[in-house]
Amino acid sequence: MISIDRLCYNSNLRYVNAGEKFAFAVLSLCACVLSRSIPVSCFVLVIMGILSVWKGGIPFSCYMRYMGVPLVFLLLSSLAIIINFSGEPLDLFAFSVGGIYITGSRESLFYALNLILTALASVSCLYFLSFHTPMPDILSVLRRLRCPKLILELMLLIYRFIFVLFEVAHAIRVSQNSRLGNRNYRTSMKSFGAMASALLIRAMKKSDALYNAMEARCYNGDIRVLDENFPPRGKEIILIVVFEIILYGLVVIEML
Amino acid sequence: MKDLILKADNLYFSYEGDKNHSLNGLSLEIERGKKIAFMGPNGSGKSTFFLCCNGILKPVSGSLCLDGEPYDYSRKGLLKLRQRVGIVFQDPDSQLFSASVYQEISFGILNLGVSEEEAAREVEEVIGRLEITPFRHKPTHALSGGQKKLVSIADILVMHPDIIILDEPAAALDPRHSEMVNKIVDKLTEKGITVMIATHDVDYAMGWADQVFLFKEGRVLAFGTPEEVFADRETLRETNLRQPAVLELFETLCRKGILSSQLKTPRRLEDLERYIRES
Repeated sequence: MISIDRLCYNSNLRYVNAGEKFAFAVLSLCACVLSRSIPVSCFVLVIMGILSVWKGGIPFSCYMRYMGVPLVFLLLSSLAIIINFSGEPLDLFAFSVGGIYITGSRESLFYALNLILTALASVSCLYFLSFHTPMPDILSVLRRLRCPKLILELMLLIYRFIFVLFEVAHAIRVSQNSRLGNRNYRTSMKSFGAMASALLIRAMKKSDALYNAMEARCYNGDIRVLDENFPPRGKEIILIVVFEIILYGLVVIEML
Repeated sequence: MKDLILKADNLYFSYEGDKNHSLNGLSLEIERGKKIAFMGPNGSGKSTFFLCCNGILKPVSGSLCLDGEPYDYSRKGLLKLRQRVGIVFQDPDSQLFSASVYQEISFGILNLGVSEEEAAREVEEVIGRLEITPFRHKPTHALSGGQKKLVSIADILVMHPDIIILDEPAAALDPRHSEMVNKIVDKLTEKGITVMIATHDVDYAMGWADQVFLFKEGRVLAFGTPEEVFADRETLRETNLRQPAVLELFETLCRKGILSSQLKTPRRLEDLERYIRES
């Protein structure tokens, strides 16, 4: 997660208007989920990949690694769809074990493939958003979409404090290691517990201090901040619109 | 007649569940536009006093006055108070709440109820003034300690306070960044803002401050110009402080007859150097 954060602050597409990126990613995601067709998914997958790597400057190996994570998960779970236990063999493959067959049908293979591609293409849409859009920008889009304030404020504070607490946890861990706190299983279990409890106390203290600091700046129960807007560009909007029209055209053709 | 901006009279305060008083009959007077250093051991009540100045903590007894008017702890009164008295906290990580530098700085001024356009203008102005531009697009968690400090100062400056309180601003900063912070502080006093700084650095306090307050156990042990306060070794010892290097050196040179003790007490090493050159 921390490394995704680093990627998005260094992305070439970072200063593109967040609303454009959001609309692009979400509309494409909807197209994938709506159509559940192999051509649409492949199309989205390829376009998102090209944009992220070529336009966004995400290293190819890095992109593949991130795509690999859901892929492994999807492959494992689709095994359950492909492999059947049945009294009679199906058309794709069959091994007989004792009295029954371990077997699979062409139809279920096709279904699994479709599922994997749809899911992967959807993930690539979300990756596109999170690889190129820092969290505060996503929050500002959500704010304009009238997402409830409470949720937005929580997201803002949680996002910031993930990093603060992560740093504290890291410091505690280093200091434990330097005192041989992790030399064997028993001590490392103990150290982990100690770190967790220290972290909880630290989090409480930090939240107290933060509240004071916010009150000192006239906080009245309502976090109001200015968003930094990067103006949308006509050319980009036209490209997005054209892409989405083609994509949804494809969706309609596939669904007919 | 002294032009007082802040006056504390016989303040008492203790934290919940703590039998000891953190503030123990604290009284002091702050003049407008002056540079004030607060010194004293950890736990002597400096930070507690600062939180009282800003209305975050309310003293159990005693009174605080801003411009001769007693503190008004109503919602509206606090809002006005906190706009006029700003605190830069010691640990920027417990002050910065947003991952975006721009959002972070805009928080205070938006709370004052100004329009978004005006707030944006003010934020831009302060970003330029404190030289935050090179890292304004970085997330706050990727900033260095010194950069975080600058942002946390900008947080307060954007609200245009009359008094700005800095709680150990140089803590954990490298020399270059503490130099930057010192320069910013100098600019503030030029603009007539009253600056109150908690510090453990006697040499800095000697060179910078108009007035020094020594705190011990929740009250003021000694106060006056740096020359007066730091001349008193006995009190310094009581507050775990040492004499500033320049003063110690000056006294030795006077004792040895190299410099005349009639000279004005030097504040900075440069002054002392000049004396030696001219003698």
